[in-house]
Amino acid sequence: MATFRLIIKEITYRKLNFLLGLLAVAAAVALFVSVLTMGQASEREARQLMRDMGFNLRIIPKGADMEDFWATDFADHEMPEEYARRLGSEPGLAVNHLVATLQKKARWRDRQILLTGISPEIVPPGKPKSPMSFTIEKGTVYLGFEVARGLGINKGDEIDLFGKQFTVEKCLAESGSKDDIRVYGDLHDVQGVLGMEGKINEIKALHCVCDGGAIGTLREKLVRALPDTQVTEFRSIAIARAETRQMVEKYMAFIMPIVMLVCAAWVAVLAMMNVRERRREIGILRALGHGSARIASLFLGKAVVVGVLGAAGGFVAGTGIAVNWGPGIFKVTSQMITPLYGFLGWSLVVAPLFVALASFLPTMMAVTQDPAVTLTKE
Amino acid sequence: MNAIEFENITKIYAGPGGEVRALDDLTFSVEHGEFVVVHGPSGSGKSNLLLTAGCMIHPTEGRVLIHGTDVYAMTERERAGFRAENIGFVFQMFHLVPYLNIIDNVLLAVGTESKRARRTKALEFLKRFSLSDRSLHRPSELSTGERQRTAVARALLNEPTILLADEPTGNLDPDNSATVMGYLSEFHSNGGTVVVVTHERSAAEHADRVVNLERGRIESGA
Repeated sequence: MATFRLIIKEITYRKLNFLLGLLAVAAAVALFVSVLTMGQASEREARQLMRDMGFNLRIIPKGADMEDFWATDFADHEMPEEYARRLGSEPGLAVNHLVATLQKKARWRDRQILLTGISPEIVPPGKPKSPMSFTIEKGTVYLGFEVARGLGINKGDEIDLFGKQFTVEKCLAESGSKDDIRVYGDLHDVQGVLGMEGKINEIKALHCVCDGGAIGTLREKLVRALPDTQVTEFRSIAIARAETRQMVEKYMAFIMPIVMLVCAAWVAVLAMMNVRERRREIGILRALGHGSARIASLFLGKAVVVGVLGAAGGFVAGTGIAVNWGPGIFKVTSQMITPLYGFLGWSLVVAPLFVALASFLPTMMAVTQDPAVTLTKE
Repeated sequence: MNAIEFENITKIYAGPGGEVRALDDLTFSVEHGEFVVVHGPSGSGKSNLLLTAGCMIHPTEGRVLIHGTDVYAMTERERAGFRAENIGFVFQMFHLVPYLNIIDNVLLAVGTESKRARRTKALEFLKRFSLSDRSLHRPSELSTGERQRTAVARALLNEPTILLADEPTGNLDPDNSATVMGYLSEFHSNGGTVVVVTHERSAAEHADRVVNLERGRIESGA
């Protein structure tokens, strides 16, 4: 009788045994896939939440008075706008999300405002990232909460800003900071309004400690690239980012091997028990003249069937768990929790291989004994 | 040349209380076409003797020659082929595969003939053993007598020259016992060599020779 037919007959005879084996593999794969999918989501969420804390690096002209800078929150000196692009293309710098800004205090309609020009983010070559800050279209402005409320300006209104016409694209929500008196515009628009074409007074950036070491090293590199600038860092944000990221990575590095080991041990024990239960069958087949290879293929074949079906079922279940419950936990990146089909391939290869391996040892032990030993042990 | 020759066979098992000599320097032979019944109390080594003759258990010492061939000098693969070709084995516990129906159980014995020829022969055996209407049943759906008849049919499918039976009637009622012993006698009368290990004294009626075993040694009938 063909080996596959024998496997199918045994499976249909011991349906419950087969289903329990299948369930064990599926549960192990589901656990693995869901933990891994959720783990990736957790890393992504932590990264996103940390990024949302804002820029942690501020590059300002070297001649800027630091006391004034901290008092007013912007530098009193300017530097060429071209510096931002130069920094973006500088190799070996662990900075991302570069934004050139020009900020000046001004009086407008008898109110004090912070006129802030923002350039679109400059993406360093080879580091494509989703933008971290908003981009303002030319000819439009965003108004801080106090400015809009105090002057009764609404979204869509046309305003005159120092002789130039702009459309109010957005009135921002209250922030409880200086941002409430800002008027944001495109960098070139603001440069035009202020008559400071090609000038900026700050480059904001995100420095990732994990990518390129400590701030000291970065300062040395920046000074070499832009000699007439100085760098300040929001240490609390930088440290929180680094520590949170490291914590999540360490947690995953700790939990994943445990999950893998538990799943592997679970599947291995079940596979070994299945073969032990069928030792008498091995004895019968050997007594009837069947060779070791034929008997091994019978048991390993079943292991592969259980492994493949269990892996497929486990992937569906594990992905279902992650996709259904993940968004409730990871709200910021919920849209990014999608099936990771790469795991399906891995599951379909690794699970059958592992079940087969776990079945292989007891099978080989049984087929290498005298048939009578296997039969009389029952 | 004898059908079976045991030359100084010793089988030792390691037990919790020390070594157990299941077979102790045993030498005897079975001629071609002979019907031998082996008697002996439990633990006398009867089953070990039979399993050793059936190429299913390595002796610790000595040689077993089947038709002049030293079977334990062969590789496992060669021995499996030799066993399938020359020896039929009937167990007390039937040892049928529970998930296969009766016809598939009979066909499970490894053979060299074509599939169709083997199937035709298997159906003939089932008819002869009054199992035709049970061919698609599983062993669990059969009576003990029917199961043992299936086991005998499986043992005979490859037309072996030697038939070894370990307590073949141990689980059967008198009628079924007589039927099974009748099949063994029929095989013997057609020229086959039969060795039966049994407690039942009545089996001696079919035998050419009765061998008595005690503590792994032959007491009489060698």
